[in-house]
Amino acid sequence: MDNLVVEATKSSPYISFDAGKGLLEIKGKSYPENAAKFYSPVFDWLNEYLDTVTDQAIQVNLEIIYFNSSSSKVFLNLFDMLDRAVKNGKKITIDWRYHTENDTARECGEEFMEELEAVKFNLVEIHEE
Amino acid sequence: MSLDLLDLYNRLEKEGIVFCFCGSASQSVVEGIGATLWQRMELQGTQMSIIGRVFPVFVEQMQNIVSHSADRIVSKDESGEELRSGIVIVGYAYGHFFVQCGNFIENADVELLESKLQDLRKMDRKELNALYREERRKAQDLGKTKGAGLGLIEMARKASEPLEFTITPVDEHRSFFSMSTII
Repeated sequence: MDNLVVEATKSSPYISFDAGKGLLEIKGKSYPENAAKFYSPVFDWLNEYLDTVTDQAIQVNLEIIYFNSSSSKVFLNLFDMLDRAVKNGKKITIDWRYHTENDTARECGEEFMEELEAVKFNLVEIHEE
Repeated sequence: MSLDLLDLYNRLEKEGIVFCFCGSASQSVVEGIGATLWQRMELQGTQMSIIGRVFPVFVEQMQNIVSHSADRIVSKDESGEELRSGIVIVGYAYGHFFVQCGNFIENADVELLESKLQDLRKMDRKELNALYREERRKAQDLGKTKGAGLGLIEMARKASEPLEFTITPVDEHRSFFSMSTII
């Protein structure tokens, strides 16, 4: 399966999904005009990947500095999908990475964590220098 | 006829206005001003915890105008392309950032918007956080990806004081909505 790589823009994050390594990364700011439309290829890729993957451990790294309210709905949708996959036997860990001084990003991670039941969701603090 | 720009500039500066945008808004405008606003706050040594509150309010207000303002120009061809207009101000006064926005709305939408905002004004941070999660979950179950509901809650919970707003009737079709958010 091909990897998915989307370069960052001012309002959308860098996305790199590597099927071979089982490593999914999203990094940057997210406030595109239409978040559902922007992330739709990401969901397509992930759906196909989750269908094909068997016992590979999947690592999801998110480092979102800021996201708007419509991206927030999309991320919850994404996490729900991963949560369901874990209930169906997939091995998935999500690391929600945030910089020490970005308490908004930490709070957002905590809020997502409370929504999820099965998937392992870690809050990972990144220390400057 | 010409506007005295020095006078306008001085007045904005005196009010602590950092940015003022008025006219047709688009995603490019949101991104351009947004990136510059972020850079400016960083250059001035603004704490990340404050940037993390000012920026979301700015984006939600701008994107509200881009998607919902009743003042719009629609393409004459089939593309459906359109541009909506409004005004957004970011300022700093008495130790707080503030973000203000104004745009025309349809009279038919006044009642719902007013009641939503009145409800939000009565809630404390904890209640707003709970409502945010509830509405986000509801949007998920309904498969709803658009709508300004979650954005309003996001602004209310990022603010340090209740959202202030006025809705001024203009004619039989439209009213002018303005809102001020103090961070």
